[in-house]
Amino acid sequence: MPAYHSSFNETEDVRVINGIPLLPLASQGRGTSPYANPSVTYDAIDEAIELFRPNSYFKNFEIKGNGDRLLIYVILFISQCLNKLRATTTQSEAVKMLHTLAVTNVVIPADAGFPLQTIYPQLNAADRMEGDQLRQYLQQVRLAVVQRLVPIVYSVDGQPSQTPSKWWLCFQKRHFMGKAMH
Amino acid sequence: MSQLPPVVIDNGTGYTKMGFAGNTDPQFVIPTVIGLPNQSRYGIASRRGIEDLDFHIGNEAVTNSKSYGLNYPIRHGQIDNWDHMERYWEQSIFKYMRCEPEDHYFLLTEPPLNAPENREQMAEIFFESFNVQGLYIAVQAVLALAASWTAKKSHQTLTGTVIDSGDGVTHVIPVAEGYVLGSSIKHIPIAGRDITAFVQQLLREHGESSIPPEDSLDVARRIKEQYSYTCHDMAKEFTKFDTDPSKYYKTFDAINSINQQSYRVDIGYERFLAPEVFFNPELVSSDFLTPLPEIVDNCIQVSPIDTRRGLYSNIVLSGGSTMFKDFGKRLQRDIKRIVDGRVRKSEELSGGRLQAKPIDVNVVAHKKQRHAVWFGGSIMACTDQFYQFSHTKAEYEEHGPSICRHNRVFESLA
Repeated sequence: MPAYHSSFNETEDVRVINGIPLLPLASQGRGTSPYANPSVTYDAIDEAIELFRPNSYFKNFEIKGNGDRLLIYVILFISQCLNKLRATTTQSEAVKMLHTLAVTNVVIPADAGFPLQTIYPQLNAADRMEGDQLRQYLQQVRLAVVQRLVPIVYSVDGQPSQTPSKWWLCFQKRHFMGKAMH
Repeated sequence: MSQLPPVVIDNGTGYTKMGFAGNTDPQFVIPTVIGLPNQSRYGIASRRGIEDLDFHIGNEAVTNSKSYGLNYPIRHGQIDNWDHMERYWEQSIFKYMRCEPEDHYFLLTEPPLNAPENREQMAEIFFESFNVQGLYIAVQAVLALAASWTAKKSHQTLTGTVIDSGDGVTHVIPVAEGYVLGSSIKHIPIAGRDITAFVQQLLREHGESSIPPEDSLDVARRIKEQYSYTCHDMAKEFTKFDTDPSKYYKTFDAINSINQQSYRVDIGYERFLAPEVFFNPELVSSDFLTPLPEIVDNCIQVSPIDTRRGLYSNIVLSGGSTMFKDFGKRLQRDIKRIVDGRVRKSEELSGGRLQAKPIDVNVVAHKKQRHAVWFGGSIMACTDQFYQFSHTKAEYEEHGPSICRHNRVFESLA
């Protein structure tokens, strides 16, 4: 039973840029996101947060569809977020820090900074707009991840806590597929 | 004169289990190690002719390891050094079991695929040096099958697949009517030691800095033994920890072996990740990636076709690393899934013209798994057949050591 795959691999009728499907999100972020869809209750981000812990123990992962490509991106981003935290970081500091991380330097898989650049499909060079659109989408995704991840990481025994839970920080040294985003 | 109980000795690579037949547990479980004096102690001048008695076995050898060099007479299940092994048996019998070998029958064990010459050698030592009444040499896997006869859902046959997982290596051994199918045996380089190391690594990752480094391995081993359980699904198990933390997270109190201060260790995901190693070897190994259920299925698929149903219906666990809670259930479910998938596929390929009789997959777990081989020997040596099938001193003197090359297979419990 190898690593877990995304349940969104079969989703069709979604625009795909650079291998990443622009799936609707359940986010209620500030402002109206063009990707937010109030009818969605469980989206790719919820799934990635759920699969982050089990999948972190795996180095081999066979990409079975575009859902998996988004899953890899989000898992690597969660890992990047956790690595920013220290055992003493308070929740408000974490929100600020990770929010900045989410909006600055948004990497898309076609960028040289993305560790798995070579195994993602190439970006259509003719269409410059596509890259910007994907960047915009991924920024939405990253903001949503931070928004949902922080309350989870800052809870111990079901109660909100001041410091991050050690049961999440222990994943700092684990890297899904042996890769990390910087 | 009433017969004294036979002595059962199971010499494993790591530990030797010995005791009298009829007991449920071995009297002694000691490391298979012999401590011999360092060369420098006996100069030529000081020879008094007793230096060959100056050695320790088991735990005493380990505690005296400063002045005695440690030797491991068994390597990979096979006896490597016969001279050391003979002395090891000598102290096992006289110092541990404290019995007169000439009054007892002996049951010894051997690994699968052992050479018959080794059996002759064993016979020579036991009949010539120890002058035993009778000797029977049994295959470990067969004894493990016999040990499972005490389980409720057991079929009491000598056909089945034995999964033997100790400290160093895991074997999957198919046995048909008491005979080991040598060509189908599979090995897995993952066993107890690797799991302990994995638990140790996980503890370090979630920052259990209170564990003193010299106790770290021992704490990891105890946590593995006391708190581990087999889960149904890794991803769902993480969610369970989130929803009911007080039930799943545990703490472990330990005492520092040096300054005797107590400290507390938090236990989290290692509880279910430890046994998960068998089902996802990727957790600990980068080159060996085949899960145990797949290995078992493969092993049965390469066995003769007329034995396969029997092998699937009696999969027996043996050894300390199979003691995890619900390990058998999970293994049974996973093997069943593979088998049913294959049956369904062949039915589809036949276009619905062939209907296969469903294959019964049954994993037998029982209470005596830890020392299953010894316990199986203890049962076997209590039967009347044991005395019939053992080679006696008189037979040995008549025919020589070659009679011990063959040991008859037990039919069933009398």
